[in-house]
Amino acid sequence: MRKYFSRERTQYMFGVLSRPIDSFYEIRYRDKGSIPLAVICVLCLAVLFTVNRVFAGFTVNEVNPLMIDGIAEMSSFFVLLGLFCVGNWAVTCLMEGEGRMRDIITVAGYAMLPITLILGPATLISNFISIEEAAIYQILLIIGIAWTAVLLLIGIMTVHNYTLAKALITLLLTFLTVLILVFISVLVLDLLNQIYGFFYSIYTEIIFRF
Amino acid sequence: MQAVYATQKKKTIVTVLVLTVLIMTLLPLQAAKAADSVPYDTYTYDYWETIIFTPAPYIPGETISGVSLGVGALNDPQGIYVASDDSVYIADTGNNRILVLEQDLKTVRDVIVTFDNNGTTDSFNKPRGVMVTGDGTIYVADTENRRVIALAGGKVVKTIENPQAEILGENFDFVPLKVTVDYAGRVFVIARDMFQGIMTFGEDGEFIGFYGTINVTITLWERFWRALSTQEQRARGRLFIPTVFTGLDVDPAGFVYASNIDGDGKQAVRRLNPKGEDVLRKGSNEHVGGDIALFGSSASAYSGPSNIIDVAYRGNGMYSLLDSRRGRIFTYDYEGNLLYIFGGMGQLAGTFRQPTAIAAQKDRVLALDAVRNELITFEETLYGELINEAVALRYGGDEAQAVEVWQQVLRLNENFELANAGIGKAYLTAGENELAMEYLKKGMDKQNYSIAFKRWRNDILKENIGWILTAALCTITAFTVVRVVLKKRKGSVQDEGGDVFDA
Repeated sequence: MRKYFSRERTQYMFGVLSRPIDSFYEIRYRDKGSIPLAVICVLCLAVLFTVNRVFAGFTVNEVNPLMIDGIAEMSSFFVLLGLFCVGNWAVTCLMEGEGRMRDIITVAGYAMLPITLILGPATLISNFISIEEAAIYQILLIIGIAWTAVLLLIGIMTVHNYTLAKALITLLLTFLTVLILVFISVLVLDLLNQIYGFFYSIYTEIIFRF
Repeated sequence: MQAVYATQKKKTIVTVLVLTVLIMTLLPLQAAKAADSVPYDTYTYDYWETIIFTPAPYIPGETISGVSLGVGALNDPQGIYVASDDSVYIADTGNNRILVLEQDLKTVRDVIVTFDNNGTTDSFNKPRGVMVTGDGTIYVADTENRRVIALAGGKVVKTIENPQAEILGENFDFVPLKVTVDYAGRVFVIARDMFQGIMTFGEDGEFIGFYGTINVTITLWERFWRALSTQEQRARGRLFIPTVFTGLDVDPAGFVYASNIDGDGKQAVRRLNPKGEDVLRKGSNEHVGGDIALFGSSASAYSGPSNIIDVAYRGNGMYSLLDSRRGRIFTYDYEGNLLYIFGGMGQLAGTFRQPTAIAAQKDRVLALDAVRNELITFEETLYGELINEAVALRYGGDEAQAVEVWQQVLRLNENFELANAGIGKAYLTAGENELAMEYLKKGMDKQNYSIAFKRWRNDILKENIGWILTAALCTITAFTVVRVVLKKRKGSVQDEGGDVFDA
């Protein structure tokens, strides 16, 4: 436990914000990363995302409160990032990427840090602004998302020892892989559902006969 | 044993009797309740475009078939107009006549079958539209005779037929369906298959031009496919022609309300100024097209765009639209906010089978049905009356008085956003920012909420700016003092150390 949440590892996590290339390098080649910390990052983001949708100020909130399903939204973050990690790992394995699965997970988690840190204060601020000042809130969010995107790109570049162009290509391929993954899993689920239906109908048939 | 049985029997009989009496007294109550319920859904859409059921704003009144009036049954009636003296004119299309009813709808004032056309006796052929001006001149769209005639005192005073103009082409077939006239004597005619717009005619019956043309919008996607497809495919594909107008009404200021069928269900009515430009206000959700297109099985009774076939100006900036697909009547205020929806298809009294036209007679709404061959009236309830009253007060600029009425509306339907927003706006004007915020939030009025919020925030800042600044100043001073003291101490410690070292 100590190992995962040591002061040093936490410092490296926040170091990602200011010196992303160096920090991701250390994370990859000197094992300064921590998967639990990455998961906590994503968890915080997932919670804050739903909190933002519910508690963002009336003037900027365009979400129907009756349509919010907190559990589904939170788990979708994990599913999406999980798919990204698996897809990226699958692609980079074939494209001479040096990153291991745990590096990819760490990068994906740590990259969410800027938006996680900004979302909370932004939600708070949104309750004290009028419509004319909504731009402040929007700019905050845009900064957070852009920063996160840059971190993700730099992280993927660094842990796999890629050039920028190659990193961009792998990200595109990752996206395609995720689509294929979703397609196959839907197919499998449907198949399993049909198998279940088949056995269930046999079961009911037997029950009604005897 | 027998005696016990007997007493028990007596007891049962007594209970049964008591119960019967109880039920008998309760039954009329039940019956009254049943009469209160209406044979259709009454609802509105809220800010999130979900269906909110409301109390009935209007309940079915009478159904008038013509037989009770002693003039024989109506046959395929297509047009209705309420004159300024509240008498009702019905274009009884299938019977080739115009019926004029007194305002109580119980007596017939006149049945126009024949009239004097410059000395010869003439008659109508399937008249579909009727309109009466303030001086009593009756304009009739005499559809199958391909003309519009104006009657005064049983004589034709004006005939519009076979209009000639370059843009109309050589073999133009003039088939008028609806007609209306503004205070300046301009005649507006909806003609069959006339996609260019409403035809306007001058006082002498000469063709002036088209009015209120609806422009076709082609999406980028459709343009892309058209670019890809061949000539033959394009010829067989869907035609991009403007939708035609379906119904007309004119308000006292001379603005023409024209309904049209909108496949997207967004805008099914236009308010045209004398130049023919649409000046309709569309409300916060930009939607004046009847039902908001909803998809999915649970909302199937409401899904798909409405088929708006007529419009009636209701006074005070309000207007009602008639949907022929689901038999609903939608009423909007002058800002384009949806007020209430009532009406429906069915077999019961007060429902439609094929609605064709709508008109407003004071507080009553009148509608024609071409399959039932009936005139159906709708009477306002307390709920509808209060909304109408509040909208009228607001239209007249009397927001403060409207508040009391809105409060009563809220007592009947506390989900009514317009009422909340109305009250909130009044509080905003009165400077009650906190109350205004509460009501405007319930009314989903973000713009005005923002204003109220800003004022409230400023007030709080103004009240507390004194101690906030003092506290800030104190903190800064305290920090500096502590810092200086710490520095000095460190310095003195070093000095002492130095002393010690020296010693």
